[in-house]
Amino acid sequence: MHYEIEIAGRLRQVAVTRTGDGFAVAVDGRLRQVNATRIDAQRWSLVVSAESKSDMPARVSYDVVTTPGPVGGALTVHVGSIPISVVVNGRRRWRRRDEGAGSGPQRVAAPMPGKVVRVLVAPGETVRARQPLVVVEAMKMENELRAGRAGTVSEVHVREGVSVDAGALLIVIQ
Amino acid sequence: MVLVRKLLIANRGEIAVRIIRACREMGISPVAVYSECDRTAPHVRMSDEAYAIGPSAPGESYLRIDRLIDAAKRSGADAVHPGYGFLAENEHFASAVRDAGLTFVGPTPDAIATMGNKTAARAAAIRAGVPVVPGSEAALDANVPDAEIATLAASVGYPLLVKAVAGGGGKGMRTVTDPADLAGAVRAARSEAATAFGDAAVYFERRLVRPRHVEVQLLGDTHGTVLPLVERECSIQRRHQKVVEETPSPVVSPALRASMASAAAAVAKAVGYTNAGTIEFLLDENGRFYFLEMNTRLQVEHPITEMVTGLDLVRWQIRIARGEKIDLDPVLLLAPRGHAIECRVYAEDPDNGFLPSPGRITCLRTPSGPGIRDDSAAAAGLDVPIFYDPLISKLIAWAEDRPLAIARMRRALDEYLVAGIKTTVPFFAWLLAQPEFIDGRFHTAFLDDVLAARNGRPFAETTAETEEIAAIAAAIHTALSAPSTGDGQTAAGAPARWKTEARLESLRGL
Repeated sequence: MHYEIEIAGRLRQVAVTRTGDGFAVAVDGRLRQVNATRIDAQRWSLVVSAESKSDMPARVSYDVVTTPGPVGGALTVHVGSIPISVVVNGRRRWRRRDEGAGSGPQRVAAPMPGKVVRVLVAPGETVRARQPLVVVEAMKMENELRAGRAGTVSEVHVREGVSVDAGALLIVIQ
Repeated sequence: MVLVRKLLIANRGEIAVRIIRACREMGISPVAVYSECDRTAPHVRMSDEAYAIGPSAPGESYLRIDRLIDAAKRSGADAVHPGYGFLAENEHFASAVRDAGLTFVGPTPDAIATMGNKTAARAAAIRAGVPVVPGSEAALDANVPDAEIATLAASVGYPLLVKAVAGGGGKGMRTVTDPADLAGAVRAARSEAATAFGDAAVYFERRLVRPRHVEVQLLGDTHGTVLPLVERECSIQRRHQKVVEETPSPVVSPALRASMASAAAAVAKAVGYTNAGTIEFLLDENGRFYFLEMNTRLQVEHPITEMVTGLDLVRWQIRIARGEKIDLDPVLLLAPRGHAIECRVYAEDPDNGFLPSPGRITCLRTPSGPGIRDDSAAAAGLDVPIFYDPLISKLIAWAEDRPLAIARMRRALDEYLVAGIKTTVPFFAWLLAQPEFIDGRFHTAFLDDVLAARNGRPFAETTAETEEIAAIAAAIHTALSAPSTGDGQTAAGAPARWKTEARLESLRGL
């Protein structure tokens, strides 16, 4: 089987074939023999080997955890304790959305229920990428929600002091 | 001596579990309380009895004095432990417990009230001859005219901090560098303080340059003995909240330790303090220290003190509440054995501005082995609720010295795996590798400064190799969970999975 796998913004072509003692996995053409043994629903033990000694990874045994994300194709893979976000066949699954990526309006929603304590931008204001937009208090902490990329604030749907539900639309940036 | 046979724990989470463990070791029957979302929480399941005290919002459950007292009476408990947070520093709760004829495991209501008021606490320190951060001694209520405020601020000196009299945790606090910003900062601090604490009064404190936060744990019994313990270094803070603590401090010499310890004991004696408490100091670059405030409860970071002194502080809290005398050797309490570090693991996404990340923990692998302690109430299958502080675990590493403790903590962080929600584990793995941390060169603003300079760069550093492994794992996961794969496995759903599992079994080579 063939998959297109995106990690940290980079696409990799991955081909998986069953072999006698596990899988042959080619990542961008580099071939690995992988013995994948399931520990439980999410955990795997991977033992990886290469075709030649010179191509061997520094470490061959890995404890990994695969956690399916909220949408199809999105996974979190823990390699050791580090979570890595992975998208499998994202272009195939999300083609329609992908066509507009980077150009459509950016909708900033509340990630959790809470109270708006500060609104830091007004309609018409230009914002930089990562500029704080709104401060929401939740779980005893004040949390800054930031712009994902630069643009102009076109809509502000909240004011200071209001309570918001998870997913509530707060700000739209064009 | 006061009998404590059954103890109600007016708290939840890891600290409730911590207190339950002390109860078990002392032959005391632990009683839990729980809000709606905590019905299946570990502290409920580990207790002998558990009482529902209302809806999930803390104001309707863990902060309801009436319901807690009612649960204590129904259970027949003879004592109440408040833990930390919630009502732990509320003198009305301590009074209500006493009025109900129960033993409060903590200081007297008077001591809580005095030290809870920042200006009264400063006055107590001054009385005890302990230096305080230069500042205004009287609380500024809303009636003080702006001109008088400006004069007072000038006498304290800039840069200064506007702080809430009833404050804590950075709430109702503003830094003012330019006198022109003073009036606005006072207004903002007052309104924040009024909302957070129901008291708009503020005062000024000079802002020290690159201070460290160093605190002294102490124990006081009801017979007049107050014993200070080795200091804790708590300068690694994010937005005024401690995230890493260690003991001993890398910059405190035995001589400085002795003088901080006796200053701390003097302040505690000045208010007739009993039970466990902590005196917080700011330590400047010249080795001068100033009283900051007192926490009249068990601290979150108490385990690191336990690791280097060998004491069980919760056990001592209960013994002191029973009226026992502290019979510990004061010299040993100031002679730390080895070094201990704590990381507060939060359900927060460090790569997204530390936003809370509540939800279900689907997979959990906790570290263990030599020198590692994990004080936690997290478990796979359990939700981290949105209603409370998102602390899921306190990871503590002890070793013979500081470099070994850092190495051990890094090893433990590498073992720590939490799936389903985001945690601050990758952030700690990054922090403990920073040269400033390794060399002990930091101050209370260090972390906020480096976080601002990073501007959101992710902490979870991946390498080409870990990314390749992630790609391999994702591909195999997808191949094996696909309902129809087209390479010989045709049936969808359960039978196909069965076949997959059987095939995997055969590949184990057992």
